[in-house]
Amino acid sequence: MMTLRGRAMQLALVALLWRGVAGPYDIVLLPGPRVPGAEGDARLLFASSPFGVAVTADGRHIYDIRITARGLPDPRTLGAFRNYVAWEVTPELDRWHRLGVVRNGVTTVGQADWNKFLVVITAEPDSAPATHSGPTVLHGTSPSGWLQTFLTHPLFRGISQ
Amino acid sequence: MRPVTPWLLLSLCGGLPLAAQDPPPMPDMPGMRHDNGMSMPIPMPKGMVMLPGLVGLLPGVSSFLPGEGVNPSGLPLARASEITPLKSGDTLELTAQLLRRTINGKTFVMYGFNGQVPGPLIRVAQNATITVRFHNRIDLPSSVHWHGVRLDNRFDGVPGVTQEAVPSGGDFSYTVHFPDAGIYWYHPHVREDIEQAMGLYGNMLVDSPDPTYYSPANREQALVLSDLMIHGDTLIPFGREAADFALMGRVGNVTLVNGEPEYALTVKRGEVVRFYLTNVASSRTWNISIPGVPMKLLASDVSRFEREERVPSVVLAPAERYIVEARFSQPGRYPVVNAIQAIDHYRGEFIAEVDTLGWVTVDAAVVSPDHGSAFTTLKANAAVSAEIARYRPYFGKAPDKRITLTVATNALPLTTVQFMSIDTAYFHPVEWVDGMPEMNWLSTAKQVRWILRDDSTGAENEAIDWHVKRGSVVKLRIFNDPKSFHPMQHPIHLHGQRMLVVSRDGVPTANLVWKDTVLIPVGSTVDLLIDASNPGEWMLHCHIAEHLGAGMMMTMHVGTP
Repeated sequence: MMTLRGRAMQLALVALLWRGVAGPYDIVLLPGPRVPGAEGDARLLFASSPFGVAVTADGRHIYDIRITARGLPDPRTLGAFRNYVAWEVTPELDRWHRLGVVRNGVTTVGQADWNKFLVVITAEPDSAPATHSGPTVLHGTSPSGWLQTFLTHPLFRGISQ
Repeated sequence: MRPVTPWLLLSLCGGLPLAAQDPPPMPDMPGMRHDNGMSMPIPMPKGMVMLPGLVGLLPGVSSFLPGEGVNPSGLPLARASEITPLKSGDTLELTAQLLRRTINGKTFVMYGFNGQVPGPLIRVAQNATITVRFHNRIDLPSSVHWHGVRLDNRFDGVPGVTQEAVPSGGDFSYTVHFPDAGIYWYHPHVREDIEQAMGLYGNMLVDSPDPTYYSPANREQALVLSDLMIHGDTLIPFGREAADFALMGRVGNVTLVNGEPEYALTVKRGEVVRFYLTNVASSRTWNISIPGVPMKLLASDVSRFEREERVPSVVLAPAERYIVEARFSQPGRYPVVNAIQAIDHYRGEFIAEVDTLGWVTVDAAVVSPDHGSAFTTLKANAAVSAEIARYRPYFGKAPDKRITLTVATNALPLTTVQFMSIDTAYFHPVEWVDGMPEMNWLSTAKQVRWILRDDSTGAENEAIDWHVKRGSVVKLRIFNDPKSFHPMQHPIHLHGQRMLVVSRDGVPTANLVWKDTVLIPVGSTVDLLIDASNPGEWMLHCHIAEHLGAGMMMTMHVGTP
């Protein structure tokens, strides 16, 4: 039986390979453990702006989030839940910003404007919960979340020259 | 397919430690020294290190600065731009010359028009026609391009297309007709990476005969945004034979408003100030705001917007203009800032950066008249919408032309190639600042060829030969390839015509405005509708000066109907 670490590595590899073919504004959505058959993706679309690119006053890009979900079961099969809700979440999981209700198919939810973020979809009893409470059914990392660190790379250690 | 590096896979799987480590110390080298004591030929972002494999390398071009061998003490000191009202039929003598400029206490030999930086602000009425007798007295060939003005093709100022370059000591007479109200600018179309960066730029303000064309304001201010790369007492030289900083363009480390490092304005309480913003920087895209002060967007390059709207900030790519009004309702001191999110490529992190460009001081005395009520009203410009309505039938048509933006390189330093081949997991839609200036500096237009590629023919740059009928409406689709060797944004400028951005990535534009320069972010597909009404041979090019110098240009012939 695959260990949790092995499962995590497998998912990371899947995500990386998917990143290899996705566009710069695409997010692969991976299933949570309660819904292994679910899958999906999210597309970051520049929010409407007279300047062509929408940014906050401090320069963060603002995106409309368009989610395509497949294989989501009736939320009631997971417990006392009636909706799936998408969230913009910091990589540290310390801030959750509700984006909107998601269903199987294509749904354009709210706007995300953090530099790096996760898109997390949870099962919830309400359509507009103040906080998340149910199980995660899909999750993914913004393209900016893949920004690499080169702290240990040979190019910075002077080894390759 | 986007490369997935074994190194990244190993890192994520725990094969390599990701704990922070200090970079190796840099070996000393002769030449300028960086503030941190390490040898560094150019300024580096705070905390950023130079790749060891690049230490000691120099760009493959010799260096150039204005006025070599000239005694600076004999040069005139640059003056601030002066408003120069001209009537139809008037003639302006416009001289490009060497000047002395003092910036942050350091004196440099630079360029200017008529002893001024920016050059004279030419103010004319809509539909005026003036003559400008240009005198080139700098140490390079030059010309004057009247950016955004739909004028007679003969006077567009593009050497090799509409005229020969004006040699040092030479003269050229331009006839400039102004069919559209708004804010425009003039600059050379020869080695813009040098001449424009060194001070050859100025505004043209074209007044509508309609006194209610814009919402009322108590004051007007033209803000010309630029930057310089300075290290210690020295301007970082330019490539003599070809542009350096060819990968990203030169992003300076000193920001300037109207040629000065700190802008200052004093207004009365309640004043509505109309700002005319022009980005004349070689490569920098700005995000301008005045925290605590509401702003209303009125117009851009060639027209007003269909509807005025509130904006938290103004994003300007090179060569773009925006007209905004701000109301200062409370006494105090307000910074004018450029606030962006930089990327630290070394640590893989975003860094919030705020450049304070200047200050607006608001007195306690109350302004009269009070335009507060008009300021809070967001006006719909029915005349703009009505004119655009004539073009709406073309919005949905298939593109007539398609261009892909990409790049080819050769003989770049191995370390540059290695790094750029692996730093591919994420590209910022807009690179606001240069995170790798040493790598960028070492790339020249001999090694980098920026490309406009015609999707239907495969022709590139000057080999593209488009002919369209005068009076036709041309739909141009531009795709900025995110999988090129160096994906970055491009401000695409079309001479002599006007165009609408009808959609971005398939999403229709909500509030239309006539443009001459359009920002194309990384990975974006932008549909433009060109009003091909002005006959002649017109350039289309990236307005990052170094990208233009590295070949990213083509021409479009607008012929007989």
